[in-house]
Amino acid sequence: MNCPIKTQKNKEWLLEYSAGRLDNERAARVARHLAMCPECARFVEAQRGVWQALSQWEPEPVSADFDRRLYSRIESQPATWLDRLFRPLQPLWHAAIPVAAACLLIVASVVLHTPQAPQVTVEKIEAEQVERTLDDMQMLRELALTPKPEGSTSKSM
Amino acid sequence: MGASAALDYDAELMLRVKDGDEASFGLLLDKYRAPVSHFLYRMVQDQAVSEELAQEVFLRVYKSRETYEPAAKFTTWLFRIATHLALNWLRDEKNERAQERLDQSTEDGPTREVPDRAPSVEQEMVAEVKVAEVRRAVAALPDKQRAAVLMQKYEEMEYSQIAKVLSCSESAVKSLLFRAYETLRVRLAHMA
Repeated sequence: MNCPIKTQKNKEWLLEYSAGRLDNERAARVARHLAMCPECARFVEAQRGVWQALSQWEPEPVSADFDRRLYSRIESQPATWLDRLFRPLQPLWHAAIPVAAACLLIVASVVLHTPQAPQVTVEKIEAEQVERTLDDMQMLRELALTPKPEGSTSKSM
Repeated sequence: MGASAALDYDAELMLRVKDGDEASFGLLLDKYRAPVSHFLYRMVQDQAVSEELAQEVFLRVYKSRETYEPAAKFTTWLFRIATHLALNWLRDEKNERAQERLDQSTEDGPTREVPDRAPSVEQEMVAEVKVAEVRRAVAALPDKQRAAVLMQKYEEMEYSQIAKVLSCSESAVKSLLFRAYETLRVRLAHMA
């Protein structure tokens, strides 16, 4: 093993070794290195001192009324109108999802298997309109070719 | 804390909370009330403030239940909220008043319970002085270094998890920790 301090590689192994958190294989490699590297040995010794010092720092116990205060805060939270609306239905959501999916499938299959009548109707209507328009144009042409009666003005057309 | 089985169970509990199961929220609260409160206490070093922040953490967890997605470990998410709140508080409150409170609580400090061995008054005083030194040394660390040390030492988090909590790379976490421990080794050398 190369010196972690000199090479700056695997330096975290020294930290973890000091804390007793390194796996057996790596711990053995570090131990062998420490036996011949005074610098790393000093590092590990000092780091163990830090860990021991930190271990002496016990936190205060959590207040006995922590939960009561928390739930009181939760209850005092204003619920949104959506929340109020859907909250009673929430337990049903899991059941509702497969039902909704089944309904969607049924609707989709009905739509897919329905003959495309509306399109035919549209096409038929369009054809009738074209036919009527052509008739009208024909009629206008015929009117234009009809000799005008005497005395009539050009304003009539 | 880091076992994947525990992760799945916590995430599962949170998903049940999402579905409206209040009892599962109670289970998560039972499990993480102390770790979160203790982490925050060591971060801000003020009992009242740390409990207030811990309440805020669990309140946010509860309020976020409907949008919760188990994208990361539950503890990563939880400590991310806790760290975010602590760093914000430290940023906002880092002033003379906070330092005064720290000094005062060190002098009048809480009595540690050591019931078994019934230590002498002198032993208790020595222990309190040592703890006060540790607290000062930790408090003097930059905020992110402090968070990283506390998560590694007391919550036994992996580098990768700390990185996710602090939103940085693993190598950045290693760098933070090395600098932090370097400072602590100097400050606490006489206690070894």
